[in-house]
Amino acid sequence: MKKALALILALVMVLALAACGGGTEAATTSSGVNLTIFNSKMEIQSQMEEMAAQYSKEKGVNVEVYYSSDTVAAHMSTKYASNDPYVISMVDAKDIYSLGPEHAIDLSAEKWVGDTTQAISVDGKVLGFPVCVEARGILYNADAIKAVTGEDFDPAAVKTTADLESVIAKLVAGGMEAPVGLQKEDWSLGAHYFAEVYEQQDDPDAFIAGIKDGSIKLIDDPVFNAMMDTFDVLKANNYAKAAPLSAVREDTEMMLAQGDLAFKYGGNWDWSNIKDFDPSENLGMMPVPSTLAGYNEKLVGGGSKYFYIDNAVSAEQQQAAKDFLNWLVYDEEGQDFLVNTCALVPAFSNITLPVSDPLGASVKSYADKGALTGNYNYLPDDHYAKVGISFQKYLAGEIDRAGFADEVTAYWATAEVGAH
Amino acid sequence: MKQNTLGYKIKQYLMFGGVGTVLFLGVVAVPFIYGLYLTLTSWDGVSRSKPFVGFANFAAAFQDTTYWQAMGRTVIYSIFAVILINIVAFALAYLVTSGVKGQNFFRAGFFVPNLIGGIVLGYVWQFVFNRAFVAIGKAITGGTAVSLLASPNGAMFCLILVSVWQYAGYMMLIYVAGFMSVSKDVQEASLIDGCTPAQAMKNVTIPLMRSSFVQCIFLSITRCFVVYDVNLSLTKGEPFGSSVMAAMHVYNQAFTYKNYGLGQAEAVILFLVCAIVGVTQVMVGKRGEVEA
Repeated sequence: MKKALALILALVMVLALAACGGGTEAATTSSGVNLTIFNSKMEIQSQMEEMAAQYSKEKGVNVEVYYSSDTVAAHMSTKYASNDPYVISMVDAKDIYSLGPEHAIDLSAEKWVGDTTQAISVDGKVLGFPVCVEARGILYNADAIKAVTGEDFDPAAVKTTADLESVIAKLVAGGMEAPVGLQKEDWSLGAHYFAEVYEQQDDPDAFIAGIKDGSIKLIDDPVFNAMMDTFDVLKANNYAKAAPLSAVREDTEMMLAQGDLAFKYGGNWDWSNIKDFDPSENLGMMPVPSTLAGYNEKLVGGGSKYFYIDNAVSAEQQQAAKDFLNWLVYDEEGQDFLVNTCALVPAFSNITLPVSDPLGASVKSYADKGALTGNYNYLPDDHYAKVGISFQKYLAGEIDRAGFADEVTAYWATAEVGAH
Repeated sequence: MKQNTLGYKIKQYLMFGGVGTVLFLGVVAVPFIYGLYLTLTSWDGVSRSKPFVGFANFAAAFQDTTYWQAMGRTVIYSIFAVILINIVAFALAYLVTSGVKGQNFFRAGFFVPNLIGGIVLGYVWQFVFNRAFVAIGKAITGGTAVSLLASPNGAMFCLILVSVWQYAGYMMLIYVAGFMSVSKDVQEASLIDGCTPAQAMKNVTIPLMRSSFVQCIFLSITRCFVVYDVNLSLTKGEPFGSSVMAAMHVYNQAFTYKNYGLGQAEAVILFLVCAIVGVTQVMVGKRGEVEA
């Protein structure tokens, strides 16, 4: 009996080993070129896999799509540490600056370069292909606001912090006790909300340099104070005010979708979750209200997620990768995949398919009239985590605004912006 | 064939130990030495050049206050977790060897948490702390209840609780083996000589089980010092970075902040601290071992 058991166990182990071996073999023996793609947008992973199967069948290249829940920079560094790069990698804009010069091929000669304003160039070479446009701002549920206040909601009328306060006051008076949702994630606070403090400066580089050498006091900065004034209003009306750091992102999105909340700070990527919660019809995005004129009319964002092609892979693989990028931009199927299957806002002017989701449509309407404040892509890798931690303390009421400004200033004492 | 020539001995060694040696060198020794080399470079983890910087990374590691905060936190966490794991494990082992009905079932039951991977376990408990306990709290107080994971001390408490829950079953097995190995004769003899059961436990059984204690404490110390999976999935270092343990800090430093050399240096320091504590504990523990 025991012997039989041991035998079975041994067999299972051998099979397991064989299974591992089998997987890699299948990848190398199939015909055509291997095109490995790293996808860092979790919400489109299943669509990417379906597309890969279809594309492989039609074009005779072997497309494989991989996903990792790691931070993009962290995942790429483990891949390069193991000397096993992807042919095409989808990374964040800042990674193009840090990885691109060493690892990416020059795409300047590609046709699509002329059809986008969002491609990333380093030293005169186009290295990054913009996968989509994403923007940050306040998400609103117009149906919920109308149901409570009885008035049609006009996002264009909510420009200043005081405007926002008066809408919220009406909502509270109408019975919606806490109309706002705020995420506690460090990337939402540090990389998205706080980054707007840099992005709304006329010259973010000079602003950060000023903080570093002490010539600019963050606590006296008008943009910082305007953003924090608005944040205080959001924070005071946060549904999770009692424990803001245990707010669950999906819950917040669900509450917004179903009209339990009127506002949430976020971006059009929230749609990938919101769509699953049977959302009200009239959702949209508006800029963060601010007492400073000008910026309260623009969403903040631009090209988000970039493809780059690795320079260490074979020439055939590079060509297959270029063909794939062209397919996305110029082939009807590729366009349909981007806009309809993945519900992304395309970064290319030749793609005229209407954006299907309401948040994306909001972004597109702002983008079309040129009302996007660009991303500042040169923040250090640890910025979102460390400033995010300080911001979480502020959100939880552990430190006040002056303490928060001090911590951010202390962070910049040793941090350096990325080369650009 | 002569059996005392060098060639014969080498052949014999290669035949029986060759594969193991190659594997050991390949997956343990070489990476470890290469890792040591990386601590002397300012590599960022992705670039092709690895500039040599000498011991600058170690100097930076000693000045990295967040690292030492994480290390201090890890020590506190380990002290509580190790003590509780062993007390609970010992109590459970006593329970399931004392002849209660269905003790085999209990043994299996207490061991099950250990079969669930740390990541899954973290997510399960996160749900329990964030949803189940909050819902129960709301139902009881009728007002608002706050998740334990939202406060620094609460998050620490949760980490300790989950670790105890995870490891107590495993350590229990070792204590069970310890209990079984103590011969009934000496226990009976002590009882006949007039010991109360408590005295017999304290003066006879526990001293004879000393090696089990040494083993369990060693295992739990080393595991607690390098805890990562539960840390990642249960708290992710939140709230505001107050539950980042040493291993998580090392990972962030190396891969997220792209200071690979510095992260590696901090990992080496963590390894040394862990090794020193573990070895000291084993040496002290072994010294007093007795045999019946």
